[in-house]
Amino acid sequence: MFDIFFVQQLVNGLSIGLIYALVAIGFTLIFGVLNVVNFAHGEIYMIGSFAGLMAITTFAPPLFVVILIALAAGALAGFGLERLAFRPFRRFRDEASLKSKAIREATLLSSLAVSIIVREIAEKIFGSNMQSIPQDYLLLKPIQIGSLSFADGQFLIFGLSIVMLGGLQWLLKRTRIGLSIRAVANNPMGAAYVGINTERTIIATFVIGSTLGAIAGLIVGLYQGAIFPAMGFVPGVKAFVAMVMGGLSSIGGAVVCALILGMAEAITTSFFAQGWGDLVAYLFLVITLIFFPTGLFGGGRERV
Amino acid sequence: MIKLKHCKTLLASVCLTLLTAGASAQNKTIAIGYQLPLSGENAQYGMLFRNSATLALDDFNKSGKLPGVTVQIKFEDSKSDAKEGVNIARKFSDDSSILAVIGDFNSTVSMAAGQVYAQTKVAQLSQTASHPDFVKISEYQFRNINTQAYEGPLIANWAHGNGVKKVAVVAIQNDWGQSAANNFINGFKAAGGTVTDVEYFNPGTRDFRSILTKIGRSQPEAIFLGAFYEDGSAFLQQKLQMGLKQNVYATSSLYEKKMIELAGPAANGLYLTSTFLVESTEPHIASYVKAYEARYGAKPQQFAAQAFDATNIMLNAIVAAGGANATRAKVRDALAATKNFPGVTGTTSFDQATREPIKLLTKLQVTDGKFVSVK
Repeated sequence: MFDIFFVQQLVNGLSIGLIYALVAIGFTLIFGVLNVVNFAHGEIYMIGSFAGLMAITTFAPPLFVVILIALAAGALAGFGLERLAFRPFRRFRDEASLKSKAIREATLLSSLAVSIIVREIAEKIFGSNMQSIPQDYLLLKPIQIGSLSFADGQFLIFGLSIVMLGGLQWLLKRTRIGLSIRAVANNPMGAAYVGINTERTIIATFVIGSTLGAIAGLIVGLYQGAIFPAMGFVPGVKAFVAMVMGGLSSIGGAVVCALILGMAEAITTSFFAQGWGDLVAYLFLVITLIFFPTGLFGGGRERV
Repeated sequence: MIKLKHCKTLLASVCLTLLTAGASAQNKTIAIGYQLPLSGENAQYGMLFRNSATLALDDFNKSGKLPGVTVQIKFEDSKSDAKEGVNIARKFSDDSSILAVIGDFNSTVSMAAGQVYAQTKVAQLSQTASHPDFVKISEYQFRNINTQAYEGPLIANWAHGNGVKKVAVVAIQNDWGQSAANNFINGFKAAGGTVTDVEYFNPGTRDFRSILTKIGRSQPEAIFLGAFYEDGSAFLQQKLQMGLKQNVYATSSLYEKKMIELAGPAANGLYLTSTFLVESTEPHIASYVKAYEARYGAKPQQFAAQAFDATNIMLNAIVAAGGANATRAKVRDALAATKNFPGVTGTTSFDQATREPIKLLTKLQVTDGKFVSVK
């Protein structure tokens, strides 16, 4: 059982996990700051890939230009999402409203509403079928190393995850906007009292998080050869699971848990059947919640 | 709004029939009921059926096979809703001018309406309902689509005949996928082959690499794929990337132009079956494709072709049942006696005992991005 095919299975699991991780990074960032689940993150992911695909089919630019376009689309979508689904609930500045659970849940539902509306509109415009992607842009070029098979997209996803994670850490720890994001995440009212522009900080968080989500959507869409309006749902759910397992607000924890999920799916397929993969993944979630109620990497006071 | 427009056209056609009936008293009109989804989520298929049925009917009425008789098709919109389907079935049963019924689109609605037709003794021919239990409702149910019970063993024998002795089975985890896989496996084992893996994947799976790695380990000589075209094309792409050299045999569900578009070069070499080949050069198929395209501006696909044949099989049965003197019972018997009917989806006979259609499937292979028929 533990032969080269098992190593290949670990590679497969790693690449599935990295996809979940890519989605989880932006997702966890937004949760860390607002303490609210952004259900529309999967749709941002979808918008990124559709924006990229439209650029590809209209003027066929090189891949890094496509990535820049997805990045811009993601930033714009993140800004719009914050304006539509999140800001209206921050009208009330008194302490009771800021701590109110009802407002938090209303925000959760408004992001869900936006996600459904965006997905339905995309289905009306593009149809719910998978879109055809020009073959040259697919990230499925085989790369054979020994008897292990890789695709060029896997290396790109691997590199992208490292760049995203590293870049985000740098941004959070070394820049002024990062400092204010951490401040707002830690204590929004305290941050406001010391003169941090919390509104601007929240917008910046959404723009950054959605940019990451949109790029992830584009790359994963090209790697799986599947771009369609409902594509954000499954990775969104898995990213959510990874975030909860990782302790809700630890980005590094979410990434590690995303990798565990991906590995679990691949190894389950190897020993049992693909149909059991999801079950094992959710079993991990339940076990984590029973034995580590604050998540594997939660518990620390500082968020983000 | 659509409904209103619908009523108007219906009313107009009824008036027109009355007028023509009045003008030439000896010209008798008999009717076929056609229940199909013209609105709602499956409306696109219903439109195709109506197009094909109208085309077949106009040809028939012009051909003069039944002198002095005009056959008419009454279309009713079932909205892919079982309740609507039952209402339409009652309405058609009460309409004494209707000799038999075609439809509905999916198995659920067809079976709900079938309960009514079984009681009122009206023959029902569905162009697409493939659920195993549909024809088991009563002796009044017929269908013009092969089930997996026929297709699976056929593909199994085909693969075995090509020298494949060990095969891995990959199928989608739902009713259809399981029946596709089981029928293939039974057929393949009966032919003397062995099955190395049976892998079901959850609907919505985008990553097949784990399954492909498992198949790579057990080294079968070919892969059987029971999937729909979107999953199928992703599977083929990833198989190419993972460097698996095995040929893939697939069900007719992969016969879609879009599949080749999505999979690109990865589709090349794929073996699959189909009942209808739009590129066929056989004269009756070519002339159907040409007439359909000229009238509706698009090439017909498999489902449209099945409706075309269903309509023609029904018209044929009405002629055999005596045309102007046909009764519902006679039409049912004539329908059951259908043998070697030459249609655009192949030659069709109904099995005497089970009423299951026996349709010859065309064997295809994807070569240079095109479906090419092979022996």
